[in-house]
Amino acid sequence: MKRNVAIIGGGQTYHKARRHDVDQAELVNEAVRAALADADMTIDEIDLVLLGNMEFFEGVHMTDCWLVHGTGAYGRPGLKITTGGTVGATMVCAGIHHVASGLFDKVLCIGFEKQEEGDTGAILSGVAHPLWGRSMAGAAVGYFAMMGSSYMAAWGAKEEHSAMVAVKARQNARKNKYAHLKLDITIEDALNSRMLSYPIRMLDMCPASNGACAVILADEKTAQKRSKKPVWFRAMDTAHNEQFELDWRDVKTERPIFSKVCASRMYKKLGVTNPAEHFDVFEIYEPATWAELVWYEDLGLCGPGEGFKMIEKGMTNIDGPIPVNPSGGVLSTNCIGASAMLRIWEAALQIRGDAGEHQVPKEVRRAFTTAYGGTNWTVMTALSKTLDD
Amino acid sequence: MIKKTDEQISIPMVVDVPFEFAAGQYLSRALTELRDNGKFFGVKCPKCGRVQLPPRIVCAECHVKNEEWVELGLEGKLKAFTIMYLPLTDPTTGKPHNPPFVYGSVQLDGATSVLDHLVSMEPDLDKIWVGMRLRIILRPPQERIGDLSDILYFEPLPGQKKPA
Repeated sequence: MKRNVAIIGGGQTYHKARRHDVDQAELVNEAVRAALADADMTIDEIDLVLLGNMEFFEGVHMTDCWLVHGTGAYGRPGLKITTGGTVGATMVCAGIHHVASGLFDKVLCIGFEKQEEGDTGAILSGVAHPLWGRSMAGAAVGYFAMMGSSYMAAWGAKEEHSAMVAVKARQNARKNKYAHLKLDITIEDALNSRMLSYPIRMLDMCPASNGACAVILADEKTAQKRSKKPVWFRAMDTAHNEQFELDWRDVKTERPIFSKVCASRMYKKLGVTNPAEHFDVFEIYEPATWAELVWYEDLGLCGPGEGFKMIEKGMTNIDGPIPVNPSGGVLSTNCIGASAMLRIWEAALQIRGDAGEHQVPKEVRRAFTTAYGGTNWTVMTALSKTLDD
Repeated sequence: MIKKTDEQISIPMVVDVPFEFAAGQYLSRALTELRDNGKFFGVKCPKCGRVQLPPRIVCAECHVKNEEWVELGLEGKLKAFTIMYLPLTDPTTGKPHNPPFVYGSVQLDGATSVLDHLVSMEPDLDKIWVGMRLRIILRPPQERIGDLSDILYFEPLPGQKKPA
């Protein structure tokens, strides 16, 4: 990077199914104020404001314009970014570009979603090609169900394995005061939950959450001067897939799909050969249980077909050797426009040692995050405690 | 003096926006073949050789123009499936599909891409598996309109048994 970039502050709202007590600007402002307080800054110090959410999920366009009072963008440069489920991470990457280039020193990135205000399934169907496949657009649940059936057929995993992911996420969420689904559930509960779309049951799927997250990025000089605990970005990358192709649904595919391509580019940039050893914690974007198992494999934390054995052995538990989503992840909280940013913010909290009850019980110096958006792309980041890590 | 209230007002609304979507050169040609001759065509990339469905002008991976049209089989292999228990709305008609129903991703013979559609069968896990062979059932020729609804559904080829 031309200039080093750090997160010098961040904040999030409590995430819930109902937030009719606030409008969109009021919701966003909660996260913005939390981030400014965390960074010990005022809005006047911010050079650029980036805002993102899902297109039309709240029934309005140009949220950057009409939420100005909530975001703090009044009178200063700003951009709205909309890249689907990845948007929270895309905004952070855009923020990094703006700071690394030398054009801006302090950038505020905000992601939010008020899912309760729209019919997200109906709006998501607009992601499908209008003339080719939209009539069968099965929302996210049908897509991940196909991934699950493919995974079980390919590797001999059982529904019990997805249930283990469901339990890990919600038990971790119970330790995270901001999480939405804090459920004291067992594998049996997950296996007995209502079948939505075989093999996806109710507890295999993320909730529809309302919430917002904001982070403040700064250049090295500002970060060193202003922050006691800056968290540094070491690499970031984005990779897209092509629509209509065999992709994540076909877990045995040997095509260079988005997840594998992006991870290998990240590791190459960082000189990482063993990611499971190099990184102390992972925050990944798993809208469904099966996606978490596939991420393990695509990130190279294990070999192909071994993801379900990792969860079986508890390797990715909060106190395991490779903790994945100690926050509870997307399975516990999915306010989509904020979800990918929450991965990055949660990774930063782990590195700072500020995650509270869901702090990983080991030293965290390096963290890795993923994002996911349809029709299949990802944004990944790698963060560290110091510039030497 | 305005009084503070605990009442929360939210207002329901429906946004109904008409669109007219151009299929373009490649998809128009493919949909015309489907409507008039009941045939499926893919396009083959001159560089990587992938046979892509729906046909499209440029291969995304190689960024070269696709010019070779390849007729595909009306049969294929199931790559992934689900049994849907939710009454999902068909966004093109506004009407719900009736659950439970089976749908899946099928790789037509000769294609690299998959086609997602309903599978006409009992929602019984003993009778459906990844790798099973299916065929396309089309609307009668006089009722076809030149979009994917010309496919009624896939159905399993007879005489197959789920591998143990």
